[in-house]
Amino acid sequence: MATLPQLIEEDIQRFEDELRELLTQTGATTALIIDKGGFLISSHGEARQFDLTTIAALASGAFMANQTIANLVHEDNFNSVYQQGQKYIMFVMEIDEHCMLVVIFSADLSVGVVKYFSAPATGRIAAQLQVAQERDPGGGLDLSILNVADTSDFFKRK
Amino acid sequence: MAIINQATKELQVKIVYYGPAMGGKTTNLVQVHDHVQTAAGNKGKLVSLATSSDRTLFFDFLPIEAMSIKGFKTKFQLYTVPGQVIYNTTRQLVLRGVDGVVFVADSQYEKMTENVESFTNLEENLKTLKLNLGDIPYVLQYNKRDLPNVAPVEYMEFLLNNRELQVPSFTSSAHKCEGVFETLNMITRLLLHKFVNQGTPAYA
Repeated sequence: MATLPQLIEEDIQRFEDELRELLTQTGATTALIIDKGGFLISSHGEARQFDLTTIAALASGAFMANQTIANLVHEDNFNSVYQQGQKYIMFVMEIDEHCMLVVIFSADLSVGVVKYFSAPATGRIAAQLQVAQERDPGGGLDLSILNVADTSDFFKRK
Repeated sequence: MAIINQATKELQVKIVYYGPAMGGKTTNLVQVHDHVQTAAGNKGKLVSLATSSDRTLFFDFLPIEAMSIKGFKTKFQLYTVPGQVIYNTTRQLVLRGVDGVVFVADSQYEKMTENVESFTNLEENLKTLKLNLGDIPYVLQYNKRDLPNVAPVEYMEFLLNNRELQVPSFTSSAHKCEGVFETLNMITRLLLHKFVNQGTPAYA
């Protein structure tokens, strides 16, 4: 099964540093790294204000739908999209084949600034993902400490 | 494409409910959402991107954090796909990153052709993502067993589970929450076995 590299503390720390710096540079509210399958990998900013898990799922779906539209209009890829609201703007930029950066910021801010700083940030995040990949290229999921002998009642009905 | 985060000891898994239109995929998620026993804050909102007539347009999404096992937080993301034939591109998008599949078949006799077509469509769509159904844990759920015109389970097994390696199957009446948790627990079990062993999942 194809999978993202296993992420260790060093990777997560690096992602958080990048997101923190991006928020400082742009004044954005929240930044997320998400997987194209809809998983939230890392986030920074006003986490309590938003349901980040759901935003990750929906943003990835919307981005992937746009990518399909890109193919229909003979584009290789729309590598970034943004949605303008009255209070907030959401900007999504591709990091690599697996991941995307999502930035949520006040509609008072300039999207140009966010775009400008997001581009190098995605490059650095992609580089860290590459480091993680090369650390253990064939590495699957090391869940050996889990005991899955009995998961029959993993989810219980009330 | 599950995500494991060794730093925060989190495992995130994506399960997709697949099957023909009006078969009960969304009902499964609604029942899980309404009846699952979780600690406070471990169950997210059920998000439905549906048409005005409550037909799934893009997907339904339900995040649940299951109990922690030996310090590992296991977060499950449950998705449905739209069943209607015309939404195939959408189904492909939702399948991206899938770890496990629950195929929800409609037990009514007249729906057998749609069941088989949907199952074939699942295999085809997985191939577009360079995935093989044989490599992905999946279970079958024969839904709507409470209706009068249902096909025998043996017949449905012959149509949908007639393979070298038979997968677990469950009868259900999802709107009464019968069979819903049994199905979810089995796909969870298969997934965790696969992740730990990285081999053939044990169905026992």
